Amino acid sequence: MLQYLIILLDDTSVSFCHYRNTNSNRRLIALDGLKAGILFAMKHNLMVQFVYPDYELPESYATVIESIDHHKIKPFSLKEDASVVVYDYREAVSDQTLNRNEKTTLVLRITKDELFSGYEEVIHFLKRSNRLSLVITDTDTFRKEDFDTYKKVLSHLESAIPEALKENDDMPQLNILSDRIQLEKMNNCNAGVENITLAPNGKFYVCPAFYIEDENDSAGNPAEGITISNRQLYTLAYAPVCRKCDAYHCKRCIWLNKKTTLEVNTPSHEQCVTAHLERNASRNLLNELHAKGFFPNKEIREITCLDPFEWKE
Amino acid sequence: MEKRKVWQEGAAKNITFIVTKDCQLVCKYCYLVGKNIKERMPWEVARQAIDYILDDTEQFNERSVVFDFIGGEPFLEIDLIDRICDYIKCQLFARNHPWFDSYRFNFSTNGINYHDEKVQRFIKKNLRHLSIGITIDGTPAKHDLNRIYKSGKGSYNDVAKNIPLWLEQFPGGATKVTISSPDIPYIKESVLHLFALGITEVNINCVFEDVWREGDDTLFEEQLIGLADEIIEKRLYGTHGCSFFAEHIGKPLDRKLQNQNWCGAGMMLAVDAAGYFYPCTRFAQYSLRDKKARIIGNVREGIDPNKLRPFLALDRCTQSTDECIDCEVSSGCAWCQGENYDAACTPTIYQRSTAICRMHKARVRANNYYWNKLYRKLETEGGREGFKKTVVNVIC
Amino acid sequence: MKKKIGAVTEDEKEEILSLFERKNGLAELAKIVKDDDTLYEKMVKDMGATSTRFQQWWNNMAAKYQWESAEDGNWEIDFETNEVFLKYS
Repeated sequence: MLQYLIILLDDTSVSFCHYRNTNSNRRLIALDGLKAGILFAMKHNLMVQFVYPDYELPESYATVIESIDHHKIKPFSLKEDASVVVYDYREAVSDQTLNRNEKTTLVLRITKDELFSGYEEVIHFLKRSNRLSLVITDTDTFRKEDFDTYKKVLSHLESAIPEALKENDDMPQLNILSDRIQLEKMNNCNAGVENITLAPNGKFYVCPAFYIEDENDSAGNPAEGITISNRQLYTLAYAPVCRKCDAYHCKRCIWLNKKTTLEVNTPSHEQCVTAHLERNASRNLLNELHAKGFFPNKEIREITCLDPFEWKE
Repeated sequence: MEKRKVWQEGAAKNITFIVTKDCQLVCKYCYLVGKNIKERMPWEVARQAIDYILDDTEQFNERSVVFDFIGGEPFLEIDLIDRICDYIKCQLFARNHPWFDSYRFNFSTNGINYHDEKVQRFIKKNLRHLSIGITIDGTPAKHDLNRIYKSGKGSYNDVAKNIPLWLEQFPGGATKVTISSPDIPYIKESVLHLFALGITEVNINCVFEDVWREGDDTLFEEQLIGLADEIIEKRLYGTHGCSFFAEHIGKPLDRKLQNQNWCGAGMMLAVDAAGYFYPCTRFAQYSLRDKKARIIGNVREGIDPNKLRPFLALDRCTQSTDECIDCEVSSGCAWCQGENYDAACTPTIYQRSTAICRMHKARVRANNYYWNKLYRKLETEGGREGFKKTVVNVIC
Repeated sequence: MKKKIGAVTEDEKEEILSLFERKNGLAELAKIVKDDDTLYEKMVKDMGATSTRFQQWWNNMAAKYQWESAEDGNWEIDFETNEVFLKYS
């Protein structure tokens, strides 16, 4: 069931996920288009997430935006009053103003090389966050040796969370480690099923990445409604590899699926293995937290295979 | 007669060389929309494909292998094929490859140049490792309705003259017949005609494309019932096989236990003249009306395993509508993954085309009639038990 | 005339099937490998070894299952059913 409407306010709106937005030509959504999106959200009980560019919007837009309950996803450069702030690695290292008391969610978009060489900086960043969502932007390029390195990096990140716990009363959340501990079922991105994106051209897209990649690949508009063909294929039930999987925190990125396997319902080997390395690291973390008396009723079972594609149903 | 067992079925890797996209014929029902005379496989591409496949025994770890040669018409490229087969044999042996003990070369030909000297030399050289199927559609009228030269002339006479030689070299050779809407009135007489030519196994199927018209299913059922009567009347059931009649079809299928994909796309591998790999030849551009080719790699860089995952993860229920899943006569209802992809409303292999639905149901009714009538007859004559055990085996 | 005289196990069948296929493969390879070819010597050696293993299999099986034989007869195996026949005139 649809729950969220993501509104890209501009063609240069910040990417908060795997896709890269290299657009530098500004195209602000028309005010009427913005209003139509908001009206659509109100009629369908959708929570709106506005995705901002890195410049101040005209006052007239701010007024319209404030007419509905919403979240603001903003780039680091405009982080005031954001619900979600998006950083790149360089920005994360340089931002010394952060403190744990801010309830903002931080998104850190990072390449594998940056993470592998700079994981200590990431730990430092994590310890100053309330919730950090780490997005590795090039998981599709992972090779076997990258998986080995990622496993080691996860182990370092995993150790940082109990350490942070010692320093504070509550634990910082790191999506790739703490989410799996809390989840009892799949909690994927669910683009096209639970959320839909309104682009600056006034049309719907499965997610921002689909718009950035191909503007012609639209999926309706607020006046005519959502038109996603074969929409069932975006659901978990129609994803044979994923529906038997318990890496519940996995983004199951539809856009990456399509890019790597040519099918929206089939993840790549790389997406599966990274998610499983995270899942297994979450298990290690949970065991450590059990020893400290946390989450006594949670359990993540031990598995040896890192790619559910290789399991037989 | 039960269907002859396919050599190493399930244990063999099928590797298809699309050696040419040219053909002497322009069959009306042919799914190859992009045939042309330009795309002939260069030797270097074939060699690179073979080296890539034989180098990687981890990926290609099946016990046996079938090298398929298709076109267009494969025998138009007999010199290339001969060179490819020689290279394969030498490489398998030189590398101590396990496939040296279990390989076949397989051809589907229109039969027109079967008698050609070069083709015959090739056949004699590789006879123990060959399987060749000649496509002949039935009576001259039925065959020439579809299988015509570019000039419009029918090809029946040129094919039929080669049937005796083919059957002499491949006793028990099977033919493949394709049924489209205009062919329906000719089914019964065509199958009987093929039996009369000495062909004892007729593999016949309706095209998967959406070509069917109102009333076709009724006419189809009538033809099959007429054919059933003739096969039983003439007692051909013990010696001749027509794939329309099979005991296992027309039953409901369990959602979990019988959830396998029908089509083998993805288990197979096809390579074209440009050196691109496909999960099956039906995903090459010349086979597709509306979709882009589904390339899974090339001879230089190899196969991208991620591109194969959707094919190998595919199951029956995920691609089927509830109507198909719950259908009470669903067993034996076939599909072609390539046609599904081509007909789908998005570029996916996960949307099953149901164009064949009414034809399958008509087939099931006629098939039920056939087995009920045959078993009653055998029961009456006291021969039912004996018949069930009749299986034609190949003794080597 | 053909008479069923016994049967072999699946593993035994697989062994002779593989040898049978190898013999055929070598026979067809011999049509294209010239005597100055680098593969020639390897092929000739293999032909000898395969023939020996092939005959050895029949000898071993005949001894194991005590198959009936005939002066002018040949044994045959049906690779589908694993049955063994004595064929004689």
